[in-house]
Amino acid sequence: MSLGTFLKSTIDGANALRTGFGITFRHYAEQQLKTKPVDTIQYPEERREQYPRTRWRHVLTRYDNGLEKCIGCSLCAGACPARCIYVQAAENTDEQRFSPGERYAAKYEINMLRCIFCGFCQDACPTGAIVLRKDFELSDYTREDFLYTKEMFLEAAPMETMIPASTIGAMNRENAAK
Amino acid sequence: MSDHRLTQTEASLNVTGADLVNIKVNGIAVKVPKGENVIEAAKRAGVDIPYFCYHPRLSKGDAANCRMCLVEVAMPRKNPDGTEVIAKMPKPQTGCTLPAAEGMEIQTETPAIARDRKGVLEFLLINHPLDCPVCDRGGECPLQNNTLFYGPETSRYIEEKRHFPKAYPLSEQVVFDRERCIHCARCTRFTEDISGDAQLGFLKRGADLEVGTYAQTSFKSKFSGNVIELCPVGALLSRTYRFKARPWDLHTQKSICSQCSNGCNIKVDYRLNSLQRINARLNEEVNEEWTCDRGKFGHEYVNSPNRLTKPLIKKDGEFVPVEWSEAYRLLAAKLKEANGNVGGIGGYRNTNEDLFVFQKFFREVLKSNHLDSRIGRYGDSITKPLFERFGYYTMGNAISELETMKTIFVLGASLADEQPILFLRVRKAWRFKGASVIHANTFDTVDTTKVSDFAAANLIYKPGTEITLLYGLLNLLLVDNTNSIEITPQMTSLMKAAGEYPLEKVAEITGLDPKEILKTAKLMATSPTAFIVGDTVTESPDYLAIMQALGDIAVATGNEKNINVPVREVNSQGALELGILPDFAPGFVSVSDPGANTHQMLTSAANGTLPMLWVLGAKLAEKYPDRELVQAALSTAFVVVSELEMTETAQYADLILPAASFAEKDGTFTNCEGRVQRIYKAFDILGDVKPDWLIFTEIASQMGTNFPYFSARDITLDLSKSVPSFTGITPKSLGDSGIRLRN
Ligand code: SF4
Ligand code: SF4
Ligand code: SF4
Ligand code: SF4
Ligand code: FES
Repeated sequence: MSLGTFLKSTIDGANALRTGFGITFRHYAEQQLKTKPVDTIQYPEERREQYPRTRWRHVLTRYDNGLEKCIGCSLCAGACPARCIYVQAAENTDEQRFSPGERYAAKYEINMLRCIFCGFCQDACPTGAIVLRKDFELSDYTREDFLYTKEMFLEAAPMETMIPASTIGAMNRENAAK
Repeated sequence: MSDHRLTQTEASLNVTGADLVNIKVNGIAVKVPKGENVIEAAKRAGVDIPYFCYHPRLSKGDAANCRMCLVEVAMPRKNPDGTEVIAKMPKPQTGCTLPAAEGMEIQTETPAIARDRKGVLEFLLINHPLDCPVCDRGGECPLQNNTLFYGPETSRYIEEKRHFPKAYPLSEQVVFDRERCIHCARCTRFTEDISGDAQLGFLKRGADLEVGTYAQTSFKSKFSGNVIELCPVGALLSRTYRFKARPWDLHTQKSICSQCSNGCNIKVDYRLNSLQRINARLNEEVNEEWTCDRGKFGHEYVNSPNRLTKPLIKKDGEFVPVEWSEAYRLLAAKLKEANGNVGGIGGYRNTNEDLFVFQKFFREVLKSNHLDSRIGRYGDSITKPLFERFGYYTMGNAISELETMKTIFVLGASLADEQPILFLRVRKAWRFKGASVIHANTFDTVDTTKVSDFAAANLIYKPGTEITLLYGLLNLLLVDNTNSIEITPQMTSLMKAAGEYPLEKVAEITGLDPKEILKTAKLMATSPTAFIVGDTVTESPDYLAIMQALGDIAVATGNEKNINVPVREVNSQGALELGILPDFAPGFVSVSDPGANTHQMLTSAANGTLPMLWVLGAKLAEKYPDRELVQAALSTAFVVVSELEMTETAQYADLILPAASFAEKDGTFTNCEGRVQRIYKAFDILGDVKPDWLIFTEIASQMGTNFPYFSARDITLDLSKSVPSFTGITPKSLGDSGIRLRN
């Protein structure tokens, strides 16, 4: 190797270092002085707003009067391409009423490991009970913990909980639904 | 997913004669039997006509009330000038009532028909609630399907629909949603045509029309479950299945009902590991497409919380669950100790495979012939009642043969309880084939479903007078010869026996009206006559003598092959065929040193000479006639009980082995007519349970003999090789409808 090439490669190397560190320094300065907007989010302290139609964790919704919308019809389970929903229905009684009409979901489980978040369940639901919302933080430690149960899906009941069951008959369930 | 169709019947069932006519369906030319209705005729051309109320097994023509089956029809007609034209009928016709005739041209897909169907469905849906998501029928609902294919997209009806209370309890098993009924009359016709209790009818008129019993009492029928399957909507629902699952949640497996010896073909619908419902499966030879309520609803035991899941050993009067290894160790020790002095009782609820290994284990490993599957009063040789004289053991006729009889004599049986499917055949023979039925018993049930309802002669005789009655009838048939039967030399000895029973004497002893006896004798002279014998006779102390008298009548009237003494439990017949008998090995091969029968085994167990008993699912404490003997025997001997649940008998056990139910194992059952039919494993076995054949195989290998069986199939194949009567019966050859032994 001649002296010329040796010098040239040394200078080139120094230049490359200078360019590289220059970028680092510039970014450091920009961040410290907040002169430019930053794209990095400090998760989990900071969270990004989700798009309006994002489909993440399911929620079983309620009517305003506190009754569950889900009627345990299993249509979501039938539509689910991953076959990960299990619904077991039972009959409402006047003493113990969960939903309008005759039938409610006694058990409602989704295997979240198998769910592909396609939203077909939401699509199939005749009452708009199951909806996919924006909670995407679904990590856990064991497989069993991914079997989400009805209690986990169900929206919190409003404060003035259930209206007296005897006032909802089969005949005015449309009104009860409002 | 379960499959549901409006009827399981195939078109070919309805061939009415050899007369064929040429018709055209949507331009497709086919030959169909003359007079066949157009729905069936169109099926032959591969054209489906939608319908609701039509059902080939219900009486035809008099329903035609759903109007779904409308078609356009044209018929050839001669003009006055002699030319022939095809003239279209001005209005659409109902396919279910229209008989096919030569030259008929049918159009099913014209715009007019499409419009008519839309109209019919719109009408049906006016008062039909929008319940599909919560309706048990949703997903397998003919109304849903037809609406999807032929119906209007939207409804123009915005007024309030009719409303009734939901889930009206029509019977113990059937709940009724009046709002959903489309008034097709399938259920009402079923109770009239098939079950014969005529319980359901229509009340009121128009939109208020409702199905019910006339006095609004509870709908009592032994076959009520069938209306659930017949109903084309979700109006009639099963109380046990209600809200349990949707059709797409279910898996279906073919099986055979385990509740009685008739062997109905069924579909087991299960979800995960639990049996949800039982539906009928078509077998023209056995149950057609019906089941009885006992079979359809009596399956809670399969998934009952009381099922035994682990072997139990009795220690200080308490049952302690143990592992199989420990149970086997104890069992092997006890069997060695008993040294061949072991009795085996029961097996009438096990598969042929279980039974074959059961007797093989007893005969080859334990060297014991103390085996008996019969727990009734009669314990003598199985050959005596029928075989020695006529060459068959239980039923001379096939179930479906009963239809061809002119007269059916039901003696001493509550037929609808004891043999539900035989009852339906007998009724079918009477209602649709013109047979006369004679009912003779010591009592008549108060139930609504019974033979005496349609019997031409109804003889309620005093208990214990069967022999007098039968010889009295023989006397009328031969000596008085009211029907001029040809007297052969063979009959003179019969005449002598019968001569001692003149009518007046018989009437007095039996307490019957002489006119009724005369009428019966008249009916019996027609041939063929089938005899069906039930519990009153088989449990009578005079059983053999009555069978002798009945045999004499059969000989006199030329019906030697038509005596039927059907067994009672699901595989009682198989247990006989496979030698769970003290004196016969499989295939009725007699053994050189017969063992003890049930009664003898219990007696020797009670007095301590038989130290060990293995009770294979037999309900001894519950059913055996001599209760005290059972208690004494079971508390003295070392008792092993193979059971599904903790029964009264099992309480006496020293060791309980939990067994698999029919839904958890493969195998075959033999029904009362000797038909071998397959059952398939539906879902996984519960807990630590094992099928019985595996238990016998494993204990045999513990005791040093290895049976070459790894699955029920191996045993079925071995059966076909080693039991002569089972030759040719393989899992494959059995197919869907089974094979009748010796046929
Ligand atoms: S989002 Fe899709 S995969 Fe997930 S439960 Fe719903 S239907 Fe099934
Ligand atoms: S979430 Fe909707 S579709 Fe699923 S069972 Fe409930 S009501 Fe039916
Ligand atoms: S009967 Fe059929 S159409 Fe009517 S609510 Fe039930 S599933 Fe729907
Ligand atoms: S209950 Fe069902 S089978 Fe009976 S008339 Fe109504 S729709 Fe027809
Ligand atoms: S099927 Fe013809 S009118 Fe109902």
